[in-house]
Amino acid sequence: MEPTLEPLLFADRPHWADVIPQAQYEDGDPVAPIFYTEEYKDATDYFRGIVKIGEQSQRVLELTESIIRQNPAHYTAWQYRYETLLAINAPLDVELRLMDELAIKFMKTYQVWHHRQLLVVLTRKPQAELAFITRALSGEDQKNYHTWSYRQWLLSYFNDEEELWSGELDFVDEMLTRDVRNNSAWHHRFFVVWASGVREGEEDRERIVRRELIYVKQNISFAPNNFAAWNYLRGMLTHLKMPFSTVIDFVKLYTVPFDPSRTDIVDLENPPPSKQAHLPCVHAIEFLADIHEREGGQSGIEQAVELWRQLVKEDTMRKP
Amino acid sequence: MESPTTASIRFAPSPIDGLPTTTSYMQAETEEVLLKHVAPSAPGSSPPTLDKRAHMQYLIRNLIQGFPSRYISQDASQPWLLFWTLQSFSILQVGLDPGNKERTIKKVLSLQHPDGGFGGGPGQSAHLLPTYAAVCTLAIAGRPGPDGGWDQIDRKKMYNFFMSLKQKDGSFLVAKHAEVDVRGIYCLLVTATLLDMLTPELVAGTAEFIASCQTYEGGFSSSSQPYFSVSQTQTPSPSPSPSPSLLLPFPRPSLGEAHGGYTFCSLASWVALRPMFPHIFKEQRPSIDTPNLLRWLTHMQGNAIEVGGFRGRTNKLVDGCYSWWCGGCFPLLEALDVCANDNVVVVVGGGGHGQPNYPPTGETAAAGEEGEAQEEVWDDVDDALYSRIALQEYILYAGQHPAGGLRDKPPKNPDAYHTLYCLSGLSSAQHHVKPSEYRRAEILKCWKPSTRTDNTNNNNNNNEDDDGHVDDDIRKDVFSYMLCWTEDESGSDILGGSVNRLNATHPVTNLTMSHTEAIMSHFYGQTLPNNQSHF
Repeated sequence: MEPTLEPLLFADRPHWADVIPQAQYEDGDPVAPIFYTEEYKDATDYFRGIVKIGEQSQRVLELTESIIRQNPAHYTAWQYRYETLLAINAPLDVELRLMDELAIKFMKTYQVWHHRQLLVVLTRKPQAELAFITRALSGEDQKNYHTWSYRQWLLSYFNDEEELWSGELDFVDEMLTRDVRNNSAWHHRFFVVWASGVREGEEDRERIVRRELIYVKQNISFAPNNFAAWNYLRGMLTHLKMPFSTVIDFVKLYTVPFDPSRTDIVDLENPPPSKQAHLPCVHAIEFLADIHEREGGQSGIEQAVELWRQLVKEDTMRKP
Repeated sequence: MESPTTASIRFAPSPIDGLPTTTSYMQAETEEVLLKHVAPSAPGSSPPTLDKRAHMQYLIRNLIQGFPSRYISQDASQPWLLFWTLQSFSILQVGLDPGNKERTIKKVLSLQHPDGGFGGGPGQSAHLLPTYAAVCTLAIAGRPGPDGGWDQIDRKKMYNFFMSLKQKDGSFLVAKHAEVDVRGIYCLLVTATLLDMLTPELVAGTAEFIASCQTYEGGFSSSSQPYFSVSQTQTPSPSPSPSPSLLLPFPRPSLGEAHGGYTFCSLASWVALRPMFPHIFKEQRPSIDTPNLLRWLTHMQGNAIEVGGFRGRTNKLVDGCYSWWCGGCFPLLEALDVCANDNVVVVVGGGGHGQPNYPPTGETAAAGEEGEAQEEVWDDVDDALYSRIALQEYILYAGQHPAGGLRDKPPKNPDAYHTLYCLSGLSSAQHHVKPSEYRRAEILKCWKPSTRTDNTNNNNNNNEDDDGHVDDDIRKDVFSYMLCWTEDESGSDILGGSVNRLNATHPVTNLTMSHTEAIMSHFYGQTLPNNQSHF
């Protein structure tokens, strides 16, 4: 925490008396002004004063932290802070601990994540960083774009199988168990399994394909009206250049109303929809239409058109 | 008239399949709110009105009196506050008075960095995003000549600033020590296009980078990451950036999932770059998967209970700003048909039902094969692929704040950003704007061969004898493709009638056509032929 004995304004702090604050506009009446708080105006006036003389010192860290806490999107304050950290050889681990607080507090800001990235490139301790990201994504915002893409950057930049990659599938599974509709987690799974080349221990591709088909089908069966899971299935088939018709038996189960006379069987290849599923499922109808269209010929097209007609009834927004 | 049963089916909540999660709770909560904002189905209910007067007052208050202190969060985005406000005026068919134009020019020029580019405020570092916003604000409020803003832009320094941000994979940092993402690329390319600064050197590798950001869902992500070689990672180098030999073309995974904002930036960048393709690619051109992009975009439009608004990612909530980021992609897709010298093929299904005909192999139509048998012009691509009327309903019924200004969704407050992107999206849904080969031919007839006026890097293009010609061909293509967008009046469809009519906006720049034409004619030293369908 910041020491609270300091006066609020830099203008009132004795050890800042030598800096000449710089007003933002020479013209006192700019168009579209922002009504700054006194505290923000004070800090940014002193920041402009510091930038003007090019000072890089410990107190610059104090000043830029104050600005960042009031406006975490002030990219110039971040940039100047980074250069100052390097210039005065500041301990980067200390900086990272401060960032632990700020990243959670200002999670939706680009700069809090990028600043971490700059630091981790220098400290080269990605494992602790991965643990921090896991913590951040376990909070309220489980789809934070910056956090997920930062995790993906970390994995690919350091590219360490044992320390970093080995736990990723378990992590995804944990996130999807919490919320099977979290598309950020589905994208991460695609990143790990398909988009990043063949990882260690995954060389047997037939086994991986089987594993992923079972995984995605099972998740679709729990909650069939989940666009994210269907996209994963389409994405992996396309990536592997496997025809969509590979999964036709599975897809068909979801294109018809629920069958109450159904007996419960465990079928990993073609898991049936859960009893509470809302059927028929539009994503399945679209999928089946695409299968028929790709199969081509008069009967294929006719079947596809028939399914598109059905889609119009089920999905009033998209008109084939 | 609608029977209650049809209405209840039509406004059915999203299925939860007996498995509620955080996503479905938030979705249900939003649907409950939005259901109060769906179009009234009672017979004789009046059509929705765009409350232009309230929105004008909201914008004028921001411009003249200023922004309340919560906008401290936008202190590093001051040119954006100006652009969002002024472009909203332009779309609302309102021009700025000379006094406020002067004040705007003066403020924007105070943001120019001594080393090139514009910053988010006076004394702030140059950054690609405020550079776009500053230049577009000058396109609206500025003019040539002393104190007009245009001729005070230091293009030589700006070009050097751009080149200083360039990465080996064709991407750009958004600022020194800052992140890479496709927003920065969009801002850079639009700025360079408007100011006659596009060169093969500047955009080398950029199209490939954009293509690498497309995800398996079809939309685009913020960025992508090339891998280091394995041997390099086993003995970590102290150097923070990889040497070029370690960049691999594959794998280059996208960082982050498909997202509306990044998709607009990527697609608009792609469209802006395409006139360069014949000049920079000899054989193999990078390609994007257009059918998959189309599929993803159409699925971003919400259902009836979501009043037809767009969401920005799979399983996220609808938000008024995606009216532009997603809705605005449809006219851009039309441009992929018109550039005749490109091999991107858009395929239509048979029987005139307008369903995209996905290639049977699962390969993309744009994979670089000729595929001529499948090639057809896609008529009314936007009409067929998203509901323009439903999007207008979202903005008019849910996007307007009763006290003026537009917003994400009810019951949120309006802000400057959502006001512009709701209005831009509404404008795009009202008008059918598309590139015209006829208009391009007219522009080319009037083209005066010339070389660049004063900026950039002609010295750097040192291995061509006929620099001037190469340069002139590129500039001619960039200029004519960017300015050949025309409005097809017969295609406009304005919910609520002509009182709700907005100006059309350029699908790439998000400036009006007149503003885009004026600033480009100035910097390219050209005079444009009269435009029949001027917007």
